[in-house]
Amino acid sequence: MAWGKSKSASVEKSVDMDLGAEALAKAVHDGDMVNFRLLFLPFSPLRKDSSERLEDEKYAYLRPDSETQSRPEFREALAVVRERTVWQHIESELAANRPAQLPWELVLLLGDNAVRLGKYTNAAQAYEVLRIRRKMQEEFFRQADEALDAGKVKRGVRGYVAATSLEYDYAAFPEPLPKVPDFQRRALILHGVYPERVEDCLPLQELEAFLRAALTYLLLDAPAAARLESRPVAQRLAFLAELVQQRDPEWRAFVHRYREACDLMRDFDKRITRATAERGRTQASLAGEIEEVLGQDPRAIPSCLLGRTIENGEWWQYMQELAYLHPAAALFVSRQLVGDVEILVPRYRADSPVPRELGLITGPGSAELRTN
Amino acid sequence: MTPSDSGYVDYFAELELDEDAKPGEVRKAYRRIMKDLVNEIAAVEITEERRARYLLQMAKLNAALYVLRETESRDEYWESRKELIALEKEWIAASESRDPNVDRYRKAYDAKLRDFLAKYVEDLMLAAGRDKECVEASNWDAAHERHAFRILRHYRQSLYREILERLPFAEVTPPQIDWKERQGAVTRLLSHGGM
Repeated sequence: MAWGKSKSASVEKSVDMDLGAEALAKAVHDGDMVNFRLLFLPFSPLRKDSSERLEDEKYAYLRPDSETQSRPEFREALAVVRERTVWQHIESELAANRPAQLPWELVLLLGDNAVRLGKYTNAAQAYEVLRIRRKMQEEFFRQADEALDAGKVKRGVRGYVAATSLEYDYAAFPEPLPKVPDFQRRALILHGVYPERVEDCLPLQELEAFLRAALTYLLLDAPAAARLESRPVAQRLAFLAELVQQRDPEWRAFVHRYREACDLMRDFDKRITRATAERGRTQASLAGEIEEVLGQDPRAIPSCLLGRTIENGEWWQYMQELAYLHPAAALFVSRQLVGDVEILVPRYRADSPVPRELGLITGPGSAELRTN
Repeated sequence: MTPSDSGYVDYFAELELDEDAKPGEVRKAYRRIMKDLVNEIAAVEITEERRARYLLQMAKLNAALYVLRETESRDEYWESRKELIALEKEWIAASESRDPNVDRYRKAYDAKLRDFLAKYVEDLMLAAGRDKECVEASNWDAAHERHAFRILRHYRQSLYREILERLPFAEVTPPQIDWKERQGAVTRLLSHGGM
């Protein structure tokens, strides 16, 4: 990509600017900063001195289909593209032999559409270019707090998710980038130390400590989680339940597998207890019981949690994939050494309202899954 | 530091000195401030946030000594900083007067700014941490350096963004943001079920 190329060396072509306007409107409608920028680059099919053509099959993804064209958000974007001053600016930038200055009206609308579609990295980039990202975050936080004050948890969670998802990582290499949800990495940090004692085991923490850790992990932002600290436990609990659902639309599928894994774990627990109790009766029975216990491969438990078996999978491989698919799953499992194998097992506090609120257990009689 | 100086790391200010301070004064001020900092660190419980803050403070003090104790490196640093401030003013003036060469001014300034921040905020701060005199006073070691990589990069980019905030818009036309409209937009977005 190079600016300052000689005009005489370039190929002039006719550009269908109606189609060009639709392509710009589509990028704005889709909240797609990459495609929007592409349309202003030196090789953009919208430039007369570029050999690229928007009508080509390879640029089909830039053109709106009939379904997109019928949407009110697309029509709104197209209307802004065609506003006289905006359109004049677009035409002059596409004709100029230098980096284009993007029209702020479209970048702003693109950012809003990106938030609407949950494309937060695009939204963060758009707002960052406009230098309003931090103020937009503050506004999302402010309105989310107001919603929580009014008891509207769902709306409050949406606001917190939007505000925290607009964060930027200034330490990214080589350039700052929008922060991305990296639960697969954060889950490993949560379980980085093997839990030798109950207090080291995240799912077995007291309610206050658990809520703090869970909200910090799922919001990907400690200061945002700290904003919620002064709210009543019941509201934070409802917030957590809603946040889990919003982060993971497939949560119910995990719940089903989690319950099955709990049954496997209980069965395994009983076998170990029986083998331990019978130790000392006779050498033969001890050996037999251990064989019986080990015969039941404990790796069936993490496979059940994940819904598939990773060949020769280590606990951290299961953890990464589980956290990627179901971010909140990392809050209800822990590492467990069985013989010389370390596995992931389901673990929760039976006296905590959290697993019940999230549907992981039903009824008051569910037994606590202990560490052995 | 005037508003147009902010963001261009000022090592004299870090050591609470005037720009004509002599090398002896630089060393004296460095040892005094570093000693206070080391004592403060020893007296508090180290959290992740504190560790990042103290590491940055230490790195800045080490770099201040490293750069300012020799006349040659001090003059080079100060000249480079002055040149950068002048380039910023030139670009702003070109932008305000709608000079057709405004993009050339912007590019010259941006390249200089990136070089300056990379050298004086990241590279020299890390290099100072390996200097014998700095190591003795600050107990800086390999573990500090490992943590400092990310902290310094974050600091450099934050300074870059801080400077950018006061400069003319280049990538996008100057936005006319109506914050009442923005509040309404956020309200609509939060009402949107699909979000």
